[in-house]
Amino acid sequence: MWRLYAFVVIAFLTLRASAAHAGDIAFSLSNMRGAAVSDAVVTVYPQDFGRAESFKFDWPLEVDQKNLQFAPFVLIVPVGSGVSFPNRDTVRHHVYSFSPAKPFELKLYSRDESRSVRFDKVGVVALGCNIHDNMVAFIKVVDTPYAAKADAAGLATVRGVPAGMVQVRIWHPYLKAPNNEIVRAVMVSASGVVREAVKLDTRAAPDRRGAY
Amino acid sequence: MFRHLRTKLTVLYAGLFGVALLLVSLAVYTAISTNARGVVRGELLASGAAFDRIWAMRAGQLQTGAGLLSRDFGFREAVASRDEATIRSALENLRVRMDIDVAFIVGVDGQVIGGDPRALSTAGSQIMRAVDTEDAPSGVLVIGGTPYQTIAAPILSPTLVGWVVFATKLDKGEMTALERLSAIPLDAAVLGRNTSNGWTGPGGATALFGGAPPASFSKLVDKALAMKTPEPSDFSTPTGDALALVKPLKAIGDGPPGALVLSYPMARAMAPYEPLLVMIVLTGIAGIALLTGGSWMLARSVTRPIQALDEAAQRLQRGENAAVTVETGDEMGRLAESFNAMASEIRERERRITHLAMHDAETNLPNRLSLERAIETLAPQAAADGEVVVFATLGVDRFLHVRGAIGYTLAGALMSEVGSALQRLRPGDPIGRISNGIVGVAFRVRDLDEARRIAAHLQQALEGPVHLGKHTVDVTLTVGLAAFPEHADRPGVLINRATVAIDQARERNRKLNVFDAKAYRDPAAKLSLMSEMLGAIANGDMTIHLQPKYDLRQRRTTGVEALARWTHPDRGMVIPDEFIPLAEETGHIRTLTDHVVSLAIAQQAALAQADHAMAMSVNISGRLLSDPEFAEELLAITRSAVGEICLEITETAVIANPALALQMIDRFVSAGLKISIDDYGSGLSSLAYLKQIRAHELKIDKAFIIGMADSQRDALLVRSTIDLAHSLGLKVTAEGVETATAHALLGGMGCDLAQGYLIARPMPLEGLIAFLGRETQQPVKPVRLAATDGKAQK
Repeated sequence: MWRLYAFVVIAFLTLRASAAHAGDIAFSLSNMRGAAVSDAVVTVYPQDFGRAESFKFDWPLEVDQKNLQFAPFVLIVPVGSGVSFPNRDTVRHHVYSFSPAKPFELKLYSRDESRSVRFDKVGVVALGCNIHDNMVAFIKVVDTPYAAKADAAGLATVRGVPAGMVQVRIWHPYLKAPNNEIVRAVMVSASGVVREAVKLDTRAAPDRRGAY
Repeated sequence: MFRHLRTKLTVLYAGLFGVALLLVSLAVYTAISTNARGVVRGELLASGAAFDRIWAMRAGQLQTGAGLLSRDFGFREAVASRDEATIRSALENLRVRMDIDVAFIVGVDGQVIGGDPRALSTAGSQIMRAVDTEDAPSGVLVIGGTPYQTIAAPILSPTLVGWVVFATKLDKGEMTALERLSAIPLDAAVLGRNTSNGWTGPGGATALFGGAPPASFSKLVDKALAMKTPEPSDFSTPTGDALALVKPLKAIGDGPPGALVLSYPMARAMAPYEPLLVMIVLTGIAGIALLTGGSWMLARSVTRPIQALDEAAQRLQRGENAAVTVETGDEMGRLAESFNAMASEIRERERRITHLAMHDAETNLPNRLSLERAIETLAPQAAADGEVVVFATLGVDRFLHVRGAIGYTLAGALMSEVGSALQRLRPGDPIGRISNGIVGVAFRVRDLDEARRIAAHLQQALEGPVHLGKHTVDVTLTVGLAAFPEHADRPGVLINRATVAIDQARERNRKLNVFDAKAYRDPAAKLSLMSEMLGAIANGDMTIHLQPKYDLRQRRTTGVEALARWTHPDRGMVIPDEFIPLAEETGHIRTLTDHVVSLAIAQQAALAQADHAMAMSVNISGRLLSDPEFAEELLAITRSAVGEICLEITETAVIANPALALQMIDRFVSAGLKISIDDYGSGLSSLAYLKQIRAHELKIDKAFIIGMADSQRDALLVRSTIDLAHSLGLKVTAEGVETATAHALLGGMGCDLAQGYLIARPMPLEGLIAFLGRETQQPVKPVRLAATDGKAQK
């Protein structure tokens, strides 16, 4: 509960800081069967949105490796930021990405060892571990401060969006769409919350059992 | 259908056995083929299952290989970075290592990297569609018309960037391996469906169905695939029937499917049983041959006695010796025994019958028939030697008297004795009994004189006392002779003629007589006389003469009697006594009477024309009085008569059928005809009939009139008859008035009419007219017409 409170406070501050006339967009994301879709990334681009100056998100830019899993599964990162990859397992990991946005390779490193990578290109970076096929995570490198990630209930709220027509992009790693992303236009009022319920056609996560 | 019983039996047995054998063969064949089919079915199903296993195993192997490749870091990096050269080399490396036919990858955008780009033009989109529903699809992919077992494995790096596709050909080699797994040498092939030209497979696959043309071959596969569950089914192919199992093979994605065809020709399935079937057929043929031979032998042994009996029966029919040799003690043997007994009885009976037929039962002498046979054989021999056959009959004189005196038994014994004596005298010559008192013998002689001498000798030898037990009979014989062919043309006639010769001998008071043909009137001649008579009636040779009836009171002729006269062109005058009785016997009397009556009426008219009205009398035979048709005819004819017609009927005529005769007489009287009772007193003159017959006239028989001159009794009878007639209201005519004395007496007795030679003989019409003319001129001179003593005639 306190987290929710903290959220509200942060949002309020942000709105205050950026624009005098702004509203929130509350997205409710579900798949075709009506189930909540988590880990979708919503980015909003206001009409007169130019090249954004440096901005930050209030979540740590960090991808842990714990229990042979990446955490979080999806991490939204401002363009040009560095992300650290701390190993909290007792085994070694070999994190890599072949994504055009940022191909890199962090060769075998062990417990409590942290490596850091800078993402200076907007796009999606799929993370894998060469040793553990089951480990997968995505880093969404964005160039807009209006970004949010859907929680377990499929809810994502983007705050302080300037009023007027805005472009909304919704991305999910398993969305059946070009670049796994759909684009919508949403009218944002001067104040208050615009609620958008979006149905996402997602596919199941690929089978990654390493049985072979 | 069969001429012989043994053929019938043989054919029947062999036929039945053949049918049974055929049924057994059919059953065996059916069992074998069912069994063979079962084995083939089982093998096909087992091979089908084995193939499924192989298919799955291979899919697994491919999957493993593809999986390994897709997870290789370097490969993933190459794919992620679109390093085509590296990708191709990596694919080639693994393809060779794993002995895979085709390996390529499909990117998430459907682009194909690796392999032959032209052959794989549609493969990329097909794989894309397949992975839409499955992560790691597998199935048949047709590349260039050849079906490949194909799998696709996703490449995750770590997100999906494409799929590794491995495809391996299911060609002859693979299939040969599958074929080797089966217990039976079946044919296996995997076929791919090609939209353009139906089902095809790796080279030579269509040979599976005996090289059926692709169109019909494809049809067969489609038909088999239409079944819900794959079942081995029959295929007719140009090279024979085959049992085949067609299993569908899932296509990868929505591409054209594949099919596994396992086939086995039935001929090959049946081949191991061929020696067995051949053995059955050979055994069957041998069995039929044996059975036919056996049946033939058996039937022969059964039918041989029957055949012997059959032949014996035919011999019996021909009258030959019909004995059958008895061979066995079974039914056949007993039948043969019975047959022999029957045959000998039949022969014995036949012998007795023949004897009876040929012998006289009373005397046991050969009979007439026997003699005829003997003469029949004797005649040609005699003719060949220039001799004649003479038959001599020896008749015991007064045989009826003798028999009356000594009785039938001894009379028979007498004839037997005479016959035996005759046979002793003429040994070798056929003798026989002809009739009760006559025996006869036939012999060959040069001429009749010799025959006479022999006959005389026989007569002399046989006459004399014959001893019959205690009795002695003195036998005298009359002998008759007839020669063949002089007197007869047939043996029977010859014997008759010889018998007639005895009669002729007795008539002439002779002891021995040769048949006199001239004196013998043949019955056949009588019949020809009748036909001549009818001819005479037709051609006018049969005419009438008229005899006047003189009225004693009026002293003139008042009537005439019509009498038939026949002038034969060769024989001259034929007397009525000769043809009238014969006409009565043969029924021609009616024709004759009609003719006479017609002539009489015509001549009566002619007389009337000449101014001599005469009553006309005609004689009506008694036989015609029972013929109503004749009565009608007579009435019709006499209707045209110009004067009185008087029917002269003998009293005896009425006796035959009194009721009918009297009725007819009444009809005649009613029609105005006069009735005269003719020849009264000659027969059984009955007063009763005299009373009943409605007659107008009575004619006294000439016998009384002729006798009247000498016999007082006759005169008395005549007188009293005249009185009787007159008292009954009848006129009296005296016949046979030949003398003046009679004429005078009759006149004195009050007789009404006289008829006879004294008055006039019967004469033709012209003569009568002349006579009547003379009479008219000299009315009272009847006595002057001198009488003659000739035989009286009506």
